[in-house]
Amino acid sequence: MSMILEAFWIWIAALLTLAIFSFLWKDNVFYRTAEHLYIGVANGYSITLIYYNVVLPNMVYPIRGANQALSADGFSWGLLNPFNDHNYFIILPMMVGALYITRFIPSVSWMIRIPIGITMGYYTAIAIPASFKASIVRQLEASILTRSDFDSWSVVFYGLLIFLTTVATLIYFFFSAEHKGALKPISEIGILTVMVGFGASFGLTVMARISLAIGRFIFLFKDWLGVVS
Amino acid sequence: MEQRSVWKKMMDVDRRVIYLIVAVVMIVPIIFPFDLPMKISKRTTEVLFNAIDSFPEQHGVFLISADLNPQDQPELFPMLVAWIRHCFYRDIKVLVMCLYPTSMGLAEQALNQVAMEFNNRAADGIGRRVVYGEDYIFLGYKPPPIVPILGLGENIYDVFPRDFYGNELKSLPMMTKKNIKSYRDMDMIGSLAANTLPITYVAYAQARYGIRVTGGVTAVSVADFYPYLDSEQLTGMLEGMKGAAEYEQLLRQQFPEENGRQLASEGMSSQSSTHIAIILMIVLGNVCYFMNRRYETRGM
Repeated sequence: MSMILEAFWIWIAALLTLAIFSFLWKDNVFYRTAEHLYIGVANGYSITLIYYNVVLPNMVYPIRGANQALSADGFSWGLLNPFNDHNYFIILPMMVGALYITRFIPSVSWMIRIPIGITMGYYTAIAIPASFKASIVRQLEASILTRSDFDSWSVVFYGLLIFLTTVATLIYFFFSAEHKGALKPISEIGILTVMVGFGASFGLTVMARISLAIGRFIFLFKDWLGVVS
Repeated sequence: MEQRSVWKKMMDVDRRVIYLIVAVVMIVPIIFPFDLPMKISKRTTEVLFNAIDSFPEQHGVFLISADLNPQDQPELFPMLVAWIRHCFYRDIKVLVMCLYPTSMGLAEQALNQVAMEFNNRAADGIGRRVVYGEDYIFLGYKPPPIVPILGLGENIYDVFPRDFYGNELKSLPMMTKKNIKSYRDMDMIGSLAANTLPITYVAYAQARYGIRVTGGVTAVSVADFYPYLDSEQLTGMLEGMKGAAEYEQLLRQQFPEENGRQLASEGMSSQSSTHIAIILMIVLGNVCYFMNRRYETRGM
């Protein structure tokens, strides 16, 4: 039975793959059906998972547990303690979160600023020191050549290359002075560096997109048609 | 005049002809694969392989954040499978978690697939069995990304009181035997993602808690991660399908009993032939462009 089911789903996946590929010829009803099906399934799947993984354990269970504790033992201050598994404190952030819905009521839509402000404040406070340390301090540290780095010619070569091309690129994007005299050749090296960067990015993008197509073709020829051992 | 029309015709070729050429060049090597020598990238794949290989046997713990989506499957799924295989070969304990809901199916599929491979081999007397809860645990999904990433540095049981299957995490033998509570009790985090999540792990988990971080990323986003590789904030990295194929090759060299499906290596001959075809088409396109312009400026 499981074999038949597996074969059935492989057929469904193969037909949907072909439906998506049909867009390469031109837009058509099969492509649009597959596209809408994907969006619908992905959203349904995500909403269900979020309900069971976020809404139930973080909102429903704590309040349900607090209700049971209240009816069994009566009120205690512990029921308002956010660190307890079962508590009523969770109602407060729930209410703040619910203010997002005020977006649809023009007369009180200003209230959406409250949850947005809290979320932005929280994430900014967390992000600034972490990003500063990881993306600025550590990167600056790594760009400094020390005496031990000079043991290897390749480190010195690439270090100098990065330094010179960075300066040249910055000069190319420095528009307060006309690019003539000594600035002209340096800015030309800068644009050359940018072009090399674009080329590398294009090559990597091609590689990535080809990988995705190969994955689908392997599925079609190996898992579906079975023409490849 | 006749010559110019040839260049002009080639410039105006229907895009579907290009698609057809690419499809043929891609499909033929899948049906008739050929072997090309593959050089292992020393600063990415080899560094990562050696790092995982140096985890203490039976004591190492590898946390994999499997945040791959169906559209990333050809590049990232083989990496996940290869990492799990490597850990099982070396008796390193594996924790898998997801920060996106659409990653769950693929993460579970990879764990079940590799566990079945090892258990089938063990039934034939080769290698050892792997058991859920003793060798690996699927923690499931927890949003939003930064909250669980920070929470795991304090107490894993607060973030994941239960595993994906509803078992109480504290009751699973792997957690109690290894006394796993936070990042302090793990050797490395592997972040598989098509976005900048590995950098998020570097910023929040490594900078704050000091744990080593590695990444498995899609080829299109590789360039974003090189600065973190140079600064050794990332311990190696796998770059797209090629990185996964290199890792599979290292696994085959190190563990001769490895006979599982080589998901990334299967596509490498096709990858190489398509790259050659695209390079030729770029050259041809440029030749056509310049020849056409030359004839036009001469007024022919």
